[in-house]
Amino acid sequence: MIYQLSVPAAVPGVEEIRILEWHGEPGATFENGDLIVELETHKAVVEVRAGQSGVLRAILADAGDWREIGVRLALFSDSAADDMSAAEGDAGDLVVEFDVT
Amino acid sequence: MSNDQFLTTRMFFREAVGRAVREEMEADDRVLVLGQDVGAFGGSYREFDGLFKIFGPERMRDTPVAEAAAVGIAAGAAAAGLRPLCVITYMDFLMIGFDALINYAAKLRYKSGGRLSAPLVVKTTAGAQGQGVAHSQCIEAWLISVPGLKVVAPSTPEDAYGLMKSALRSDGPVVYIDHKRLFPAPGNVPVAETVIPFGKAAIRRRGVDLTIVAHSYMVRVALETAGLLEAEDLSCEVVDLRSLAPMDVNTLCRSVERTGRLLTLEEGQVTCGIGTEVATRIFERIGVRPWIRVGALPAPVSSNPVLEAACVPNADRVAQAARTLAAR
Repeated sequence: MIYQLSVPAAVPGVEEIRILEWHGEPGATFENGDLIVELETHKAVVEVRAGQSGVLRAILADAGDWREIGVRLALFSDSAADDMSAAEGDAGDLVVEFDVT
Repeated sequence: MSNDQFLTTRMFFREAVGRAVREEMEADDRVLVLGQDVGAFGGSYREFDGLFKIFGPERMRDTPVAEAAAVGIAAGAAAAGLRPLCVITYMDFLMIGFDALINYAAKLRYKSGGRLSAPLVVKTTAGAQGQGVAHSQCIEAWLISVPGLKVVAPSTPEDAYGLMKSALRSDGPVVYIDHKRLFPAPGNVPVAETVIPFGKAAIRRRGVDLTIVAHSYMVRVALETAGLLEAEDLSCEVVDLRSLAPMDVNTLCRSVERTGRLLTLEEGQVTCGIGTEVATRIFERIGVRPWIRVGALPAPVSSNPVLEAACVPNADRVAQAARTLAAR
């Protein structure tokens, strides 16, 4: 199955975030609890952690880029063999957890 | 010709402020910062991130929770030849510093027959955001009546950058006002070093039926209102004052002459408010036009979110006032 990671509304009032750092390249495997990406708001860093295991397949915004809340940042799949051609349509949301620091 | 002057980079509001302060500190050894948490912590809103490492504790000076002393020390340091940026985290507490700011700094040049001046900038943060009666106020209208004091209030990161640079180069005391609700939104700022002069308003949206004059966060509310009313075929021009003292009366008059109606919008109280001053200055020059002023209700700003929202203007309230005005 294909999953998407979108910009979370993790900090009240924030409309747009800046990508600080990705913790994995396409092809990387994530386990539950692994840090995927750090996002920057005006006053906090949001650590986005995997809430399920999977494989990072595509990164759609680089470090330093700005994205609005709800915009897709990356695609994941259950296994590296999953066909990504369906990803243009409705990918389910990846289960994630946030730490706001 | 280089295209650099048109290049921009996107940044947070606090980063725009920090960049202006860093550049001016690099250009002029006399510029220093003092206030609560401005040192190793990087500023209450992280607007000075990284500056302590560059400039050290001599020029990034933490002060105790003693605003009267901080403004007093800054005024004295300015009179002695430094160019201090004094940071007051909440505008409400600038009241404690009024004696040094108003009785001393703002009058120093006059009182000394031009021999002394106080190139002091007070940077403070206004506005309601869930923090209650004494951490929410917008008292800029109290300040614009003080001869010798300049007052600016940007609504975008670009203006925060350019106006802070002007403030730090100014020879009179300046009060520079941020707004808590502006901090989450990033904006594009020129890559090339730029300065925005005081006394220049900016037209944020063109319109033909009425002019909304606002500053700081209320510019965003004005733009939201203009968007709502577009659907009703009511066309609003939105003018961002940027600089409250001096005030760009020329731009205000031209806009109201075109549209024929004035709506003044502020988050502070309307009694003796910025809007009343705006209207008076315009009507003195071009004659009276239909005018409605919108501001906070005559009540303290509660920390209860329902009461806070009821007190300060929002787009629905402004739109209702604009409809009434358009019918006149």
